Amino acid sequence: MQTNVAGRLAAAIVAACLGAVAPLARADETCLSPYMAALIKGQEAYLHVWALGEKGIGDESDKLVTIDVDPKSKTYGKPIDKISVGGQGEAHHMGFTDDRKYLWAGRLDDSKIFIFDVGTDPAHPKLVRTIDDLPEKTGYVGPHTFYAIPGRMVIGALSNTTHDGVTGLAVYNNQGEFLSAHPIPAENGGDGYGYDIAINPKKNVMLTSSFTGWDNYMRDLGGLVQDAEAMQNFGNTMVLWNLKSMEPEKVLAVPGAPLEIRWSLKDGDDWAITATALTSKLWLVRRDAKGDWGAKEVGTIGDPAKIPLPVDISISADAKTLWVNTFMDGKTHLFDISDPEHPTQIYEKTTGKQVNMISQSWDGKRVYITSSLLANWDKKGADNEQVLRAYDWDGKDLNLKFEIDFFKEQLGRPHHMKFSAAADKASP
Amino acid sequence: MLAPSGAEESAGGFGYPAPGSYRLDHIFRAPQGIVLEGSRFPHLLSSYTKGAITLLSFFYTSCVDPQGCPLAWEAFEEVRAAAIARSDLRGRLRLVFLSLDPARDKPGTLAAFSRAYESGSDSARWHFLTTYSDFFLRPLLHNFGEEIALDRAASAAGAPVFNHLLKVFLIDHEGDVREIYSNQSLDVSAILGDIETLLMEAGMRKD
Repeated sequence: MQTNVAGRLAAAIVAACLGAVAPLARADETCLSPYMAALIKGQEAYLHVWALGEKGIGDESDKLVTIDVDPKSKTYGKPIDKISVGGQGEAHHMGFTDDRKYLWAGRLDDSKIFIFDVGTDPAHPKLVRTIDDLPEKTGYVGPHTFYAIPGRMVIGALSNTTHDGVTGLAVYNNQGEFLSAHPIPAENGGDGYGYDIAINPKKNVMLTSSFTGWDNYMRDLGGLVQDAEAMQNFGNTMVLWNLKSMEPEKVLAVPGAPLEIRWSLKDGDDWAITATALTSKLWLVRRDAKGDWGAKEVGTIGDPAKIPLPVDISISADAKTLWVNTFMDGKTHLFDISDPEHPTQIYEKTTGKQVNMISQSWDGKRVYITSSLLANWDKKGADNEQVLRAYDWDGKDLNLKFEIDFFKEQLGRPHHMKFSAAADKASP
Repeated sequence: MLAPSGAEESAGGFGYPAPGSYRLDHIFRAPQGIVLEGSRFPHLLSSYTKGAITLLSFFYTSCVDPQGCPLAWEAFEEVRAAAIARSDLRGRLRLVFLSLDPARDKPGTLAAFSRAYESGSDSARWHFLTTYSDFFLRPLLHNFGEEIALDRAASAAGAPVFNHLLKVFLIDHEGDVREIYSNQSLDVSAILGDIETLLMEAGMRKD
């Protein structure tokens, strides 16, 4: 009898819930953690840009710059806020906490991590905490990727305190307290390098990629490419991890520094794609006919002989297309990946003298591009333009809507970008 | 023993590791607070988060989020059924639902839910808690990292609708949160494996 009562009560609640709108996101604007809240499927209101400080530019400090990107706003296309964090520490990537209330931003040189409150007033973020214990707690340096899991942040580091690049993952809670470290395998096929993180929660799978150590990424690019021995010190692997145990399960050979990883967001898909910086290839990670995970080269980006250096990629929400930026030639490429085994380039445009990061809205109609790769890898002289460019994508062409010259505006070198919606003032 | 395999292993994912073969981080200490159960007599929340393994989630009775309350409810039902069926879990697992809506979810209202789950409560009692008011609720939400927002448009037609991120907290005997499940990871196989892992860690599991 009591079971029946329970069943009726439960059924009543379930019935009351039918037909409701889910406020949660399966994934974020095409490239963030699948645990992320508050997906922006409409017009983003603000673009947060993590910018590197530059000697002789403004206050010379690394800073978080917030741009108004709402076309209906009077300040559309203008910087409306900036927060300097002090010094030049090689500002690089950012990531939201799972509740999207806080934005973590890392520096590759001094390994500091800055936590900004972007939930209270996204037009005017506030710096609320600085984490400086990553090297002490883990032996890792260069916090690169910030990937939210419930209540925690998984941080993918690039190097170690000896600067040779054998590194790992660190887990912090959302309060900024260190929890655990997980070394990237350096034996049995592993090379120990780290870069990006991407999780497929339904498969209990985490995938990581590999770049290079502090000795290389902090070195002038011109000298680096002439140093044959140093050029050997790049990652040639990806690692599949058991997400629950945070233990590596399988090392995949992916030569040429595989960088950004994007899982298909399409329901039922279980493949991921990446681009290799040094070999200019697209690689697909998926199961074979026997059910074993593997990686295979599936496409070429530009002319690899010219080393176009593919950097950031951005997958569409329907997993049919992939944007790829190549840094050296300043081109933005669009690939049809509806058959991920056979990507085909369908569009190409020169979008700058040097281009690095690329972010698209959920509907794919807006595309944002920034110029800076690394302070010592950016081009020199007149080719060292430092800009944010915002485009509309009409399905055939990228149409420039606005651009901001970060040097002219005394803001530094623009790198990673994240979207925010307008503040929701509602509260319980 | 229910061996966790889950995670669509047959479809190519990695199965969950064997209980006790992995470590769960101490994510944070479950917060302090005052809650109500069955009457307006106050209880310390810690009396519901220590001394047993606890599975806790926020909910509200007029919930209209298909990705929220029903998912948590179904998972709690399955975990409870496993706890009743398994002698090694008897008396070592506690289930807690804590209301996001103290204005409507009064202790008397929630008592009906508690009574509905009295059967088997010696194996895994399911507590339905609320608070005096938002003043008492807000610090708990903040300290658990549970963000909620009133959806004014959806609420205009009747009962309030709170947009919230589904989070289910697994709390150890000492009151430390050791795992947090979302709608992307709320898998009963994983939960049971984690519970066994915590029991083994405490030297309390009977094989």
